[in-house]
Amino acid sequence: MTGDTPQWLAPASLREALQLRADHGDDATIVAGGTYLGILMNQGFLAPGTLISLHRVPELRFLMTTGELHLGAMVTHRTVERSPLVQKRWPALARAFSVVASPRVRNQATVGGVLADADYASDPPSMLTALGARVVLRSSTAEREVPVEDFITGYYETDLREDELLVEVRVPGNVERAVYRKFRSRSTEDRPCVAVAAAVTAGRLRVVVGAVTDRPQHFPEVCAVADGMPLTADIAAEIGRRYAELIDPISDSRGSSVYRRRVIAVEVRRALEDLADG
Amino acid sequence: MADPRITGAIRYSQDVSLPDMWHACILRSPYPHARIVRVDASALPEDVVALTPEDVEALNRYGCQIQDQTVLAIDRARFAGDPVAAVAAPTRRAAEEALALIDVEYEELPAVFDVDEAAAAGSPLVHEKHHISDNDAAYFGIRPIEGTNVCHRFRIRHGDAGAGFAEADVIVEETYHTAGAQHAPMEPHASLARWQGDRLEVWTGTQTPFNLRMDLAGIFGLPQEQIRVVCPPMGGSFGAKTFVRTEAIAACLARKAGRPVKIVLDRNEEWLTLNRHPATVRVTIGARRDGTLVAKRVECWADTGAYADCGPGVAQKMGYAGVGPYRIPNVAVDSHCVYTNLPPNGAFRGYGAMQSVWASERTMDLLADRLGMDPLELRLKNVLVDGDRFCTGEQMHDVHFTECLRAAADAIAWHEGRRGKGLCVLLKGMQTPSRASIVIERDDGNVYTVRCATAEMGQGARYSIRLMASNLLGVDIEQVRFPDPDTDVIPYDTRTTSSRSTYMMGRALEGAVRDLEMDGRRGCGEVANAGGLDPDTGQGIASTHWHQGAAAAALRVDEETGVVHLERIHASVYAGRVVNRAGGELQNEGSMIMGVGTALLEGIIFDNGQTTNANLSDYCIPAAADLPALTHNLIEKEGAEVHGLGETALPPIPAAIGNALFSLGIHVTDLPMNPEQVLEAIDRR
Repeated sequence: MTGDTPQWLAPASLREALQLRADHGDDATIVAGGTYLGILMNQGFLAPGTLISLHRVPELRFLMTTGELHLGAMVTHRTVERSPLVQKRWPALARAFSVVASPRVRNQATVGGVLADADYASDPPSMLTALGARVVLRSSTAEREVPVEDFITGYYETDLREDELLVEVRVPGNVERAVYRKFRSRSTEDRPCVAVAAAVTAGRLRVVVGAVTDRPQHFPEVCAVADGMPLTADIAAEIGRRYAELIDPISDSRGSSVYRRRVIAVEVRRALEDLADG
Repeated sequence: MADPRITGAIRYSQDVSLPDMWHACILRSPYPHARIVRVDASALPEDVVALTPEDVEALNRYGCQIQDQTVLAIDRARFAGDPVAAVAAPTRRAAEEALALIDVEYEELPAVFDVDEAAAAGSPLVHEKHHISDNDAAYFGIRPIEGTNVCHRFRIRHGDAGAGFAEADVIVEETYHTAGAQHAPMEPHASLARWQGDRLEVWTGTQTPFNLRMDLAGIFGLPQEQIRVVCPPMGGSFGAKTFVRTEAIAACLARKAGRPVKIVLDRNEEWLTLNRHPATVRVTIGARRDGTLVAKRVECWADTGAYADCGPGVAQKMGYAGVGPYRIPNVAVDSHCVYTNLPPNGAFRGYGAMQSVWASERTMDLLADRLGMDPLELRLKNVLVDGDRFCTGEQMHDVHFTECLRAAADAIAWHEGRRGKGLCVLLKGMQTPSRASIVIERDDGNVYTVRCATAEMGQGARYSIRLMASNLLGVDIEQVRFPDPDTDVIPYDTRTTSSRSTYMMGRALEGAVRDLEMDGRRGCGEVANAGGLDPDTGQGIASTHWHQGAAAAALRVDEETGVVHLERIHASVYAGRVVNRAGGELQNEGSMIMGVGTALLEGIIFDNGQTTNANLSDYCIPAAADLPALTHNLIEKEGAEVHGLGETALPPIPAAIGNALFSLGIHVTDLPMNPEQVLEAIDRR
């Protein structure tokens, strides 16, 4: 709340938004739902000179399917959570969005915002990674698709270029089964202490653990033990143990590294048990 | 009439404004302990006013029990967050910008952050001397130990503890720790000050208008009548808005600026202003094989942070609450209030009881386990009944611990099996001695106006007093007005704390209505309770009126992760005669919810003296979805005294939950019981 009032730009079309992004680059901060940005600004961690709000851009608010699920960047968590289409065909995704914070936050927070913030302690990125989702990054001159697991590159860091906006998330439609488990060590409204997403796509298992290091963790070589095998209790426990060994979790106010490692083993196993049951 | 809190018509302290007022903010020390070498505000623009240590050097020290505070830190900053300068400007933003231009040079000093280390010999001293306050909140013998960080020690000597332990068949001892907690009221601290010549007027959310007036008068060397304190309703307080908080800085800035100045704290500043005492409590208890208690020793160390505030009083109540509502022939209590280089700690709903009840009642279950007894039966065998003497020597009357315990046990079907279930019983004192007075006026139109100091902080005190007045007067409640307390026109009251207002002010009101009936226009009523404890023996009258309650918890545990799933919590509280049923029930629920936060979620985290979770994302208070089935009952008695209900249901909740874990073999000694700690206790099982 210090410094001058930032300049507030609210483009009314995607074209205009992309042009502003090209003009200002990283000198301007993009505002989507503002739930996270608001905290950073209130706490004085960020004092942007210029804000570009996407709230008036109509082209970013679609939710549709072409076999794949297409989510516009400005679609809210609540919209994904409550969409009958998502609930029917991607129920684990609906669940991952439904357990974020509180309804007040979910009414405001967006699909694009949560990915672009790249906060390690978030729910949707792990689930989207497990589902093999991609983000669409567009500039005023070009467009590219990047898998979510490559898009988030570190703590609060992404592959987004200075002239690009994250405009869409695409989720493959050929998922056979998926589950999301959010493990909280404090309030139900808290961020995850350990997030586990698991999905089977075209017979291949993907297990992703989030909220424990800089970015969602995925070990295909460990998951490969389940290839062509029924997902037994032994395999579930083995994958849980291996993930706990391979991940070096952080310590924060939600739990120490030692504690998280134990929870990873338990929660990965439980996720796979859920997957086998479901 | 629609509730002004719902329509938005209510004016909280932070909504009060005056023409030409400026807004202030505070520059705080980044170091937990540092010599202040130089404060340079010369770079500030001319259209703002800065307050620096040299502006306040000539003013008197203050503190409600020990005079250890100056308006700004003058020579030394004693905690990371200690105010060292302040700025007032036409806008809050201009004040913040100016604040960034103040240059302060510090020289770091050795600091102490742990209460046990701080109490030990050779620790860095937070204060060199302990000046006992002349404020009437220093109502008991304060016993600082000079040359140490102990600013008060309180003792109870009842019977002969050594001899008692010698005749015990079983002795159990355990040490417990509780974390600091933040009150987290929705409205932060807010105050507005204006000078009219030599007269100071302050509008502030406070539970303690007269104590505040005394300390402000002392700071400025003015007669108390030259200070006017007006108390708009607060958006929550829970003990946070007591004594001097932001008012002295606002007053100094207002005098220098020659105009009204308002301070509204940012959320993060709440953690730097007042918190709940972290404490270490060691309990030793001895019993005969049949469960008869024969001796108890309670040792408490309350971490009061960098300034004592009412910490000596908290340590004293922690001391006797830790004995518990039991008949024990031999008791020794040693309670200490200890300075550290952490933010100050003070009054918090429960006032020291939570910390020692946690330790005492967890130990009762350890003892029951050693004796092979049902924890309920052990308690019922020893609990105080009418006519018994407490460890302070006072005879107990209107005693209902047995009923409270049985009701709590029944609520969780204790007799159908005890696994995953826990109980706790407590007694909590009310401010003794104290005085309450009230005036009631009638105008020509049959409208009555109540003038009293009882502060509204969301607990519904004004409604309860209006309701009692309307019942006594035989008029509709809408005919009874209760304007914001204003020390220029209200009679003296000790303060709105310790759940005393409905009881004390209610009785004063009865006298005022009788007086009004004689006078026709105006009636005054006053009551006082006398008593107090000898600080060296703990003998005397701790409380003329005891808050009595019990709690029960039922839970299950995820034994692989340590997550506690509460299934039910219940509180049974003795209410005597109920004045405002809905209000009393809401007080119970609110207390229980805060108790759940204390038990499972809340703890202020410090890293080398820096508060690291001073926001509501990193410091979790309970959300609606965190709450289990939550039930409670008021134990009522026709014709009995009215009993305050503001706090009783908080202190027993953590121990009830801790004891429910212990029924599963999970022994946790420290609060909060986060999953990691519970898992460690499972590992030790």
